[in-house]
Amino acid sequence: MSEPKISMVDLEHIAKLARINLTESEKTIFLPQLESVLEYLDVLNQVNTDNVEPTFRVNDQKNVLRDDLIKDSFDQKTALSSASKTQDGYFVVPGTIKK
Amino acid sequence: MDLKNLTITQIQELLFSKKITAVEIVNFYLERIKKIDSQIKAFITVTEKEALKKAKVIDEKIKKGESVGKLAGAVMAVKDIFLTKDIKSTASSQVLKGYIPQYSSTVYQKLIDEDAIIIGKTNTDPFAFGGSTENSGFFTTKNPWNLSKVPGGSSGGSAAAVAADLCQFALGTDTGGSIRQPASLCGISGLKPTYGLNSRFGITAMASSFDCPGVFAKNIADLALVTQITAGVDSKDATTVDNPVPDYSKLLKDVNLKGLKIGLPKEYFSDPINSEVKDKVMLAAKEFEKKGATLVDISLPSTNLGIAVYYVLVPSEISANMARYDGIRFGQNTGNNPDIISYYMNTRGKYMEAEVKRRIIIGTYALSSGYYDAYYTKASKVRTLIKNEFVDALKNVDIILAPVSPTTAWDIGAKANDPLQMYLADAFSVCINVAGIPSVALPCGFDSQNLPIGFQLIGNFFEESKILSVAHQYQQFTDYHLKETPLSRGDARRAEGF
Repeated sequence: MSEPKISMVDLEHIAKLARINLTESEKTIFLPQLESVLEYLDVLNQVNTDNVEPTFRVNDQKNVLRDDLIKDSFDQKTALSSASKTQDGYFVVPGTIKK
Repeated sequence: MDLKNLTITQIQELLFSKKITAVEIVNFYLERIKKIDSQIKAFITVTEKEALKKAKVIDEKIKKGESVGKLAGAVMAVKDIFLTKDIKSTASSQVLKGYIPQYSSTVYQKLIDEDAIIIGKTNTDPFAFGGSTENSGFFTTKNPWNLSKVPGGSSGGSAAAVAADLCQFALGTDTGGSIRQPASLCGISGLKPTYGLNSRFGITAMASSFDCPGVFAKNIADLALVTQITAGVDSKDATTVDNPVPDYSKLLKDVNLKGLKIGLPKEYFSDPINSEVKDKVMLAAKEFEKKGATLVDISLPSTNLGIAVYYVLVPSEISANMARYDGIRFGQNTGNNPDIISYYMNTRGKYMEAEVKRRIIIGTYALSSGYYDAYYTKASKVRTLIKNEFVDALKNVDIILAPVSPTTAWDIGAKANDPLQMYLADAFSVCINVAGIPSVALPCGFDSQNLPIGFQLIGNFFEESKILSVAHQYQQFTDYHLKETPLSRGDARRAEGF
């Protein structure tokens, strides 16, 4: 059997990078599912792509520019209307640096 | 008056000749929704108040002899990942439960500006991640042809709503088959346009280099009419292309099947295809041949790599796009947390559905240090190969004909615990998205369980006119698109599979 593509330690690390808290039962379910998906993706390694340019976008649009004009946008009240917590016209977030 | 199986244009003729009012049209669909949607569950939100209000405005304009929009009286359902100002837009995820957007998606706005009437928001896999609607954070939509089967997905609610005559047309998005596959599984028509034809602005982003908003309807004429309105450059989506929009409706008749070269890619008629699907799709090809078209065997050898390319690139783009759901500016959150990192982790951990988490994790893995070249760069190179194969094939044939889904609709729950099996169901749809070209799906028969079978007509970049006109011709000499689901006929027992 080949080496597993992803270990429990990897999964926990990746979930942390992605800022997703996984429960123990989710980890147990996801690990073999991710392993089988990653194993399936191995088919790509059998393809010769020497001298092939990657495609990152399918049409030829690039550097689409517009005039730098001031246009109407949301007022402060509208912009904040979906936030769970606001104060004095700002979004409120938990502390980002420790006291 | 029975509006089922009338085209939008036919309904508008009734409206403008004052044989029916817009309010009566809306009530026709509202009554159907009240009667049968509790069984199908196509809708997350029914916008009864908004629909009746808009209908009254249209009726008033007609009464006074004022001009109305090009889609006056056309009743639409909208996939819940399209933002609709002041109307709840959840993307079928607990993440956005209760979210009321402050602005509208461009495509939706263009349609209501032409007096289309929104009747509701439809169920989907959360953020369009899935192929059956079973991943929805709220409920699973049932296939109107058989309530024990999935409607396909991700735009399953929109497809089911059109199939069961709960609206005239519906909006969906097709990132890997999410319009064509549910259209095929529900026996209706659906257009995945060229990438960049319809604006993505205001639609929850899945994979930005793949996402294509598009339309479902019972017939190709309606797809042409609605796409006429949705298409075109949008300053809010820099990937939309500034080409003049052709008159799709007018061009529908502008095709000669005699001498039309139709390519049949052998990879799409082999494993994993079900034999009943293969037979019916081949029969559709033969019907074109009888009308004078030439069938040409072609090969798209990289087809078997499509799923792998897709499930590297799409989760990678997903992992970036989903970073915005931080529970701060919008969406549900877990309230008090000691610091911002635990706020993010707990909020995303609690409200994101399993498939959302899986795809973010696959994408984060593929983009992470040490794996980027092996996955993302490699898949982007294979993407080039797949795209070039289509472009080269379309130098020798006018159009490509293929099945949409290897099977008809499957039992609810059958693939729910095996993500890879669910992904493989997209085998015949994803390559078109990888390449970015347009494809229209339409029905061509039924299997032995009376479940619909569909096929797709694939064209080169911006050849919507060509594929729509060929598809339209097919609907002139076949009547599969006119078949009603058992539920539409009021035959609930048959729909339950008795």
